[in-house]
This record gives sequence, C-alpha cells and structure tokens, in this order.
Amino acid sequence: MLFEVQGLSKRFGHTAALTGVGFQVRRGEVLGLIGPNGAGKSTLFECLAGVLPADSGKVLPEGRLIDLLFYIPDGITPWPAQSVLWALNFTLGFLGGDAALRDEVIEQLDLSQLLGQRIGTLSKGQRKRVLLAIGLLTRQPALLIDEPFEGLDLRQARDIATALRTHAARGRTLFLSIHQIGDAARFCDRFVLLNAGRVRGEGTVEELATLAKRDTDDLEEVFLALT
Amino acid sequence: MLMGPLTGFSFIGSVRTYSEISAGVGEALSPLTGVWAPTFSACELAAVFLLPFVAIRMVGGDRESGALKLELQQSLSTASMIAAKTLVLLLGWLIAMLPPISAMLLWRSYGGSVYPPELMTLILGHILNAGLTIGLAAAMASLAEHHATAAILTLSVTVGTWVISLLDWGRAAEYTPAAMVAQFQHGLIRLDVICVVVVLIVLGLGLAAIWMRLGVAVRRRIYESIALAALVAVASFGCSLLRPSWDASEGRRNSLPEPDERVLRQIHGLTIEVHLASEDPRRVDLENRALSKLRRAMPDVRVTYIAATSTGLFEQASAGYGEIWYELGGRRTMSRATTAEAVLESIYAVAQATPPAESEESIFRGHPLAAQPRGAALVFYALWPCVFLACGILIRRSLK
Repeated sequence: MLFEVQGLSKRFGHTAALTGVGFQVRRGEVLGLIGPNGAGKSTLFECLAGVLPADSGKVLPEGRLIDLLFYIPDGITPWPAQSVLWALNFTLGFLGGDAALRDEVIEQLDLSQLLGQRIGTLSKGQRKRVLLAIGLLTRQPALLIDEPFEGLDLRQARDIATALRTHAARGRTLFLSIHQIGDAARFCDRFVLLNAGRVRGEGTVEELATLAKRDTDDLEEVFLALT
Repeated sequence: MLMGPLTGFSFIGSVRTYSEISAGVGEALSPLTGVWAPTFSACELAAVFLLPFVAIRMVGGDRESGALKLELQQSLSTASMIAAKTLVLLLGWLIAMLPPISAMLLWRSYGGSVYPPELMTLILGHILNAGLTIGLAAAMASLAEHHATAAILTLSVTVGTWVISLLDWGRAAEYTPAAMVAQFQHGLIRLDVICVVVVLIVLGLGLAAIWMRLGVAVRRRIYESIALAALVAVASFGCSLLRPSWDASEGRRNSLPEPDERVLRQIHGLTIEVHLASEDPRRVDLENRALSKLRRAMPDVRVTYIAATSTGLFEQASAGYGEIWYELGGRRTMSRATTAEAVLESIYAVAQATPPAESEESIFRGHPLAAQPRGAALVFYALWPCVFLACGILIRRSLK
C-alpha cells in the first residue's frame, strides 16, 4: 500500500463536497476515481495534494504528502506567458523533476512542435499534454491526474494512454480522476466509485460487481447499481 | 519604458526652473529640492500607478492561472517564494530608477553640483517606498481572488494613506508613504521611519505568504494574520520611539546651525507651550522651520499645543492666542515669532546661555546654476525608451 485515506470530509458552506471518504492506493497500480460531474473528484484530489484544506480525515502513513504524490489539475493554464520549454525546465528545476525523462516525455506526448509556443496560446488538448508532461517529469511515486483524457481526440487519448501505461509499467502509481466510465474501464486496474461526495465502492470490476450483486463485467452497469 | 519620459519631463522642467531662479536669486539654492526631488517624482508616480499592478500580476498571476496549485506542491515555503518574487520586483525597480539616476550624469555635464549623501538618501527613500508598495500589493494579490479586486484594494489603501497624510493624523501621518518620501526628499534620514517602514513591508509580505497557502484552513490563516498584525503593531510602536536621525542634506536644511546645536545640547528641561491651532499656518511654519529641527538637537524638549479650535479662526481675539512660551528652570519668556532664529533667541534668553558667534563657514551658499537641459529630451524621450524596448525584446528572445 502506498497510502490510505481515512474519513476525509470537506464542506463548502452548507454543501458537503466530501463525506467520510476512505480508500487505499496501492503501489504501482493504475487507480481510477470515477464518478459523475460534481461528485467531488477534483475536491478530493485537491485535498490530497494540499491545495485545499480538508475539514477532517487523515492519510496514512502520516508524513509529508508532497513527497508522496503530485497532482495535475484539470483546466488550468499555468504560466501563460511562458513557453512550453520554459515550463518543462521550470518543472525540472523548481519542482525537482527528473531531467533524464525530459526528452522521452516530449516525444511520448508529441510536444516537439510546441516547445517554443506560449502556453496561453495552446489549444485545450495541447495544454493537457503539457500538463501531463509536467506531471510525468516529477519524481513523486504517485501521480494524481484530474481528467487525463479531457479535451483530447481519440488518437491523442490513445497516445496519452500508451505514454501513461509506459510510466505505470515502471512502477509509477497513477490515480486518475475520470468521469467517462468507458475510458476508465479500458485503462485502470482498480476503481474508487465516488458519488455525491461518498465512496460507493472500491476494487476491481469483479469486486465491485460482487458488491453490487451483479453478474457482469460492465463497469457502467456496476456503477449505476452502486450509485 | 514610461520611466524615461516621466523622468525627462520632470528633469527638464526642474532644470529650467532652477536655472531661472539661479539667474535671479542665486543664493542657497540646493539641487536636492530644486532638481533631484522633482526628477525622482517620476518614481513616486510609478510607485503608485505602475508598480502595484506589476506586483499584483507577479504574485496573483500564478493563483489566477492555476500555476500556484503546481508550485505549492514542493518543499519551498510560501515565505521563500514571496521573498524571491520581492527581490525580483525590487531588482526591476532599481532598473526602472536608472533614468532618474542617469539624470545625475547630465546634471554634472551641465556643470551642476552633486552631493552624494543627499542623493543616496533620496534614492533610499524611493526604494523603501517601492518596498511598501510591493508589500501592500503582494498582500492584496494573495488575499483577493482576482487581479481587479486586488488592484481596487491596493489603491484604496493608498488613497487612505493620502487622507491620513492630508489630515495630519498624529504620528501615523509621519509614516505614510507620501510623508516618508517627503522626509527623504529633504535629505532627512530617521531611524524610526526606516524601521516602521521595514516592519510594514514585513507585514505585507507576511500576509501574502500566509494567504498563498491554499491548503491551510481559512480560519487558521485568519488567526495567523491577526497574530502577525498584532506583532507588527507592537513592533511599529516600539520603532516609533526611536529617536536617532541624520541630516544628509548639504545645506543642513533639517538642522539648526552646528554652533547652535552644540550649545543646545547642553540645555536640558526646556518646555515650549504653543498657543496656536493645528491648522493655523503659523503653527505649521513653527513646526517645519524650527521645532522639527530643535527636536533633533534637543530630544528631551517638551512641546505642548494649546488651542480650543482646529483653525484658530475664532480664537484670534482671545487673550494669549498666538503666544509661544518658553520655560526653563523657573524662568519664562514669551515670543510670537515662528522663525528658527527667533526660537533660538528665546531659548538662549530663558536658558541664560550665550549664543554662539555667527560663522560665515556655517552658512550654506547653495549651488546656483544657470544652464539649459541640453540633450535631456533625446536621452529621456528617445534613448531610454529604446533601451528598455531593446532589452525587453532581447530577453524575450533569449527565454525562447
């Protein structure tokens, strides 16, 4: 086990975004956090990354989570006036990234043509690839990615998936927040089902099907049954 | 790029005025107040209307773009991040001050006199002012969700300090940016002002570092902010009690003549009772021309102001209004004059002290200079903007 979340809760005013969330993240796995929009996926990731304060809960083992995981938010345009190459070099320098991976990541995510372009001028899909590159260059054992396939066409999504699998195969733990259950089913080893701020199930498709008392390997059906 | 033209406009105008006055009066003219203060006024304008927005963009930009969420996921503290950004901003400010500093070279080329201590004092004042602006803007950028809100808050505080300065609200008025810069423009270095300004800069940067920590509960950030503000309030009060000051002006415009100061330092226990209202111009005169200088030579002098109204308009006919009483060792003397010479005369009378002999050496003759600002328009309106533009283009290309 890489880390375990216990009893994580977060409220925004009267709205309970997360209630008693708990699950385990195992070393080297690709874990999918699936749930509809508004389920609390991004809130959960931000609490884990320490960029949003949780109201209660703990993460085991206790210690500095920034040494354990790195979080890639969705929908941000960091350093819009800087070039892609600057952002990657900044990741290596300031965020302590692995310089040995730079060229490989640039190739895997097809960023060669974009290196001189300012981040603020990139399309949604291009920005997503830059963000993924930033994440893949960091050294933390676990990478939390919010909607890794959002904004990508089918070919790009497959290329991204291939790149992520390569890094996962080397032992990097990936924790992916995905609202398209079909994408999650194709890519992830295990799943945490989140709905209305609560965990509805955790495990492989088979384990979740057992929990849902369904004889199926269709994750969508299992999800609907449990939520 | 704007600093060149802003500086040029002030420098050219001040040199022409200085030249006209030199041709006419020719005595006791000081480049500090005649040329340097107006020339560096471009820095004051930039500190109010340009620097805050640059600082807000630098500090708040990462939060708005989402980059802060990435930057917070490493071990460097937000205090270190803010300190690094502040250093960069200060470096940029020093670069922006190059045009007014370059004016010194032009002035020398005209045959003008430069007294380094007073010029360095002026530069120090503007650097401290920039520090205050950066601290304030950084705090607002971290507190506010959007740049626009931060800009509104920053300008509101700035206008608030103008109001405090204008209304002359007790000791607080002495530490506003406008009052602080004015003191340095006169060549006066006050340790209490420097310390209070530094403490306020720490407050601004500290608040910025506290509120950058997105992962810390808001309540905790509030408690930490209150604790920091309380600490700063205590520190500011303590710093305001510091008395040391230095007159860096060549003409000793902030001090009484040296022979008089030597005699005054031997006199202790003097009390001065001033029967003038706070808005009476004579009281302002007395304070600026005499008492502020007197306090530097006699730190233990007690000055009390007695007036029933703020303007004195309806007190003119009252018995005793306008009188200035000097008391020492049971002896009292009264005067209505507000000049430094008259105040000294009264003090020597009540102290039964012998006034020092007048010395020709102690009289500041000034540095009149009738010269035209040759080449200044080319330097400030063309050369400096081109230099900044070229540097910007080169830096941008090198970063690619």
